[in-house]
Amino acid sequence: MQAGESAQDLDLVLKSLWAAYQQGERRALARLLTLVDQAAYRRTIYKCLAHAFPEQTSLTVAVTGSPGAGKSTLIGKLLPLLRQQGRTVAVLACDPRSPLTGGALLGDRIRMPVPVDEQGIYIRSLATPPGRQGIAENLDVRIALLEKFGFDWVVIETVGVGQADVAIGDLVDFLVLLIPPESGDEIQWEKAGLLEIADLVVVSKGDLPGAARTAAQLQQTLNLPGFPPKPVTVVSAAKNLGLSDLVSRLMQSPRRRRLQEYYARRLLLLAQEILAERFAEKKDLVARVLEEARQNGWDTWEAACELARRLSENGH
Amino acid sequence: MAARTRRIVLAKVGLDGHDRGIKVVARALRDAGFEVIYPGLWLSPEAVVRVVAEEDADWLGISLLSGAHLILVPKVVELLRQQGLHHVRVVVGGTIPEEDVAALLACGVAKVFGPGSSLSDIVRYFQDVDSHASR
Repeated sequence: MQAGESAQDLDLVLKSLWAAYQQGERRALARLLTLVDQAAYRRTIYKCLAHAFPEQTSLTVAVTGSPGAGKSTLIGKLLPLLRQQGRTVAVLACDPRSPLTGGALLGDRIRMPVPVDEQGIYIRSLATPPGRQGIAENLDVRIALLEKFGFDWVVIETVGVGQADVAIGDLVDFLVLLIPPESGDEIQWEKAGLLEIADLVVVSKGDLPGAARTAAQLQQTLNLPGFPPKPVTVVSAAKNLGLSDLVSRLMQSPRRRRLQEYYARRLLLLAQEILAERFAEKKDLVARVLEEARQNGWDTWEAACELARRLSENGH
Repeated sequence: MAARTRRIVLAKVGLDGHDRGIKVVARALRDAGFEVIYPGLWLSPEAVVRVVAEEDADWLGISLLSGAHLILVPKVVELLRQQGLHHVRVVVGGTIPEEDVAALLACGVAKVFGPGSSLSDIVRYFQDVDSHASR
């Protein structure tokens, strides 16, 4: 889009795209999934999507875990099984964006081969900036676009994450955490964070030595008497073990997004993003307050309160 | 409005398992700030075009070291046209003999990087065309 393009042109572009999207044209879907990154388009796309409480026709599942845990491979293996069950699936595969150059190498598709004429699967790779807990920007609106397009399942693969990257839990119905064998002792599984948020813990690479022990440790530690149970299972993509069991568990999974809490969090997150964008545009105001702080001898807290006050004053 | 990061699909087409070169180019373009999508080895022309469409890519770079470029590349370009992906610029790299370059350009390829091409030339080409491009 050119810098001089007017709001009217933008509406025209989007109008024809939206019509094609509603006709089920995958190219229009692909284009919209790109355009959501531009604020002006995003606003209009939210408008087209219409409600803050969309009809939830899809089951949204996230697969998360450390780098190399086997997330892409597992998703690649689940795709044909889900198709056998008659489900259509869209995948949003996140890989990291460089903090230095903004570039990215998106390589998740390598492990998700799809028959060329398979119209029931759609895969999109997303570059994910650092500091976002392993999920690409504007993921919620992308999920909504895929859902409204008619996919039965929307599967999100996060960037390889650590113990505390829990934000994905706010966006999906069901969260699968992959843990490779030999990646910790009992004390690791006591720790707060991702393990608490996960709906299902899956030990990957189940054909490797140590997988059974890791699974047994997790099973024991996460299922202490008197605490809510947390299912643990083992898969091996290489040997096709545990995959259909995983699919049937996912099929029966509850829909977390139906909870009021989900909408509340989503709105709050979006509002935070909007405020952060607005604040980032006010660099001169920050410099001014800093200068005043110097002159008036304010402490850091006072200066920050003053900045917050002024930012919210002229924030519209 | 800030320009968005340009997306490049880099692909190996046909029975050609040599991906050292394409990985090096992928790294250089990544470091130049592009989003590079690499879908792996042994793709059919149809599969490559599917990836370009799904990823809403601006560029397709095809690497061939198999000698099949005069058969496979025109097929990919034709499929892109059939799918309405006219805006996608196609670049070819690999062991392309000098005498085949004209035929590739004639079928709609934007640029050919044969043996001896330097990484900085490749990156500069993408950057130069990109700075004039709009969509």
